Amino acid sequence: MGLLDRFKQALVAGDAEAAAGLAGEVAARDTYSAGRILAALSSAMEEVGAKYETGEYFIPEMLRSAAAVEAALQVLDPYLFERRPDHAGVVVMGTVRGDVHNIGKNIIVSALRAAGYRVYDLGVNVSAAKFVAKVKEVNADLLLLSAFTTSTKQALMDVISALGEAGLRGRVKVVSGGAAHSPELAREVGVDAFAGDVKSTLAACRELMGGA
Amino acid sequence: MNSRERFFAVLAGETPDMVPVVPVLDGYFAPKVIGRGNDECWLDDSCLAQALAAAQKAFGYDGAVAEMGLGRHPNLLGCRVEVKGNQVPLVVETLIEDAGDLAKIAVPDPWQEGKLEPVRRLARQLGSGIAILGSVRSAFEYAASVRGLVDFFTDFYRNPQLARDLIRACLPATLAVGRALAQAGADAIVIKDSFASTSMISPDHYREFAFPAEVEAVAELKQMAPVILHICRNSLPILPEMARTGAAVLEIDSPVDLVQARQAVGGKVVLKGNIDAVSVMEKGSRADVERAVETAMKAAKAGGRFILSTGDSIPSSAPAENVAALVEFGRKYGKY
Repeated sequence: MGLLDRFKQALVAGDAEAAAGLAGEVAARDTYSAGRILAALSSAMEEVGAKYETGEYFIPEMLRSAAAVEAALQVLDPYLFERRPDHAGVVVMGTVRGDVHNIGKNIIVSALRAAGYRVYDLGVNVSAAKFVAKVKEVNADLLLLSAFTTSTKQALMDVISALGEAGLRGRVKVVSGGAAHSPELAREVGVDAFAGDVKSTLAACRELMGGA
Repeated sequence: MNSRERFFAVLAGETPDMVPVVPVLDGYFAPKVIGRGNDECWLDDSCLAQALAAAQKAFGYDGAVAEMGLGRHPNLLGCRVEVKGNQVPLVVETLIEDAGDLAKIAVPDPWQEGKLEPVRRLARQLGSGIAILGSVRSAFEYAASVRGLVDFFTDFYRNPQLARDLIRACLPATLAVGRALAQAGADAIVIKDSFASTSMISPDHYREFAFPAEVEAVAELKQMAPVILHICRNSLPILPEMARTGAAVLEIDSPVDLVQARQAVGGKVVLKGNIDAVSVMEKGSRADVERAVETAMKAAKAGGRFILSTGDSIPSSAPAENVAALVEFGRKYGKY
């Protein structure tokens, strides 16, 4: 098994120590482009998401893999920047006001970072004003809104309207997701895309960034 | 046969006149029955007790939930809680960073500040004809609240001993609140263990972390009142263990098929469920409620030991007409 495969396997298994060690080996070799490294990271998180969908993994296993990705990225970040200073896009993400669920958000943040996005994680219970300020500050391409409870519809609408009032709605694409969500709710609220899991979030972000 | 007799007949394995209807109608939905906001009732136990009593009187179901305000539970254990509007109470500051903090968890006195006095009043107000279901959080759920859910789940791999110690440290809180609810007049104690669902954790993790504390809590509390064990979303893989806890009733949610559930637990345990609180009660029509009730009755009514219920708390935004329809069709399809 090649180094990148072993690296990916450690990420899927959620072995943070092995993932960080293998990330060091990956970084030390000039043969791997940033694109190949990020593809390994990203496909690992997609595989983790798929294992969750099929009932092989549960939330603790997803969190374990997300932690392994973060450990690997700590090692890889400087090398990735050196080999490919650009990034897939700038993302602002957080859980909306009135909701403190951070599990899904944390997993998606790791998956996006693994896919080469520069991610600003605002945490949980984030006000519309805070989302808008950050989008403006970092000139975000994408805003990802996480909502777990069914009572967060108004909070989502508040963010969309605050973006409009700040004149930013045309400049940033908005994706919403979380257990409380449905494509119908997303349409009603007025976001650009709805995503229910790791795979569909990555696909939605790629599409909104103009990729395949 | 009055509501309370109907409820206890089912628990005794007898066939009542009809299937009791006991929805999980708690602090999420009840406040709007008296025109109050969730934020008013989640930290004000008198308001909540008034709302819960009014809801039972308005809809006429057989058993009323009696509980402390949602914001009270983590608050009870020392977490700072913020309640705003109809949003779920937010734990803004967790209590446990590492094993050194375990001593911060004290056994609460649920009677302090009159937290349970309203439950007693609720029991008195509804009289002896209605079953009163006192609701308490499991040690597993309290542990998740005081540690924070992400850290708690992460501990399963990173520091399983901390997770185990934390659950053990929270068990006295479950027992204290459960005992106090029974003393306040609850006919049964509901232990809510939502985070132990196999929609969240694996069956192996359930057996390792959640199950031992459930067994201890049920053994202790059933000496005072029958215990209902609630695990929402999917619980099918762990139903045999849930039955082995000694709980008299298992509260199961819509992802679990009632026929499969009965096969998994055998004939002795009472099943309570499993109308979908969101897709049917909140978003469905009256016809959807009728369909769901009829389906549940066909699957679980025969042979008794069944209580019609929602699988989880009815959301505050559910239409009142659907709650009325649940009771109406429960009566229509529930006759023996």
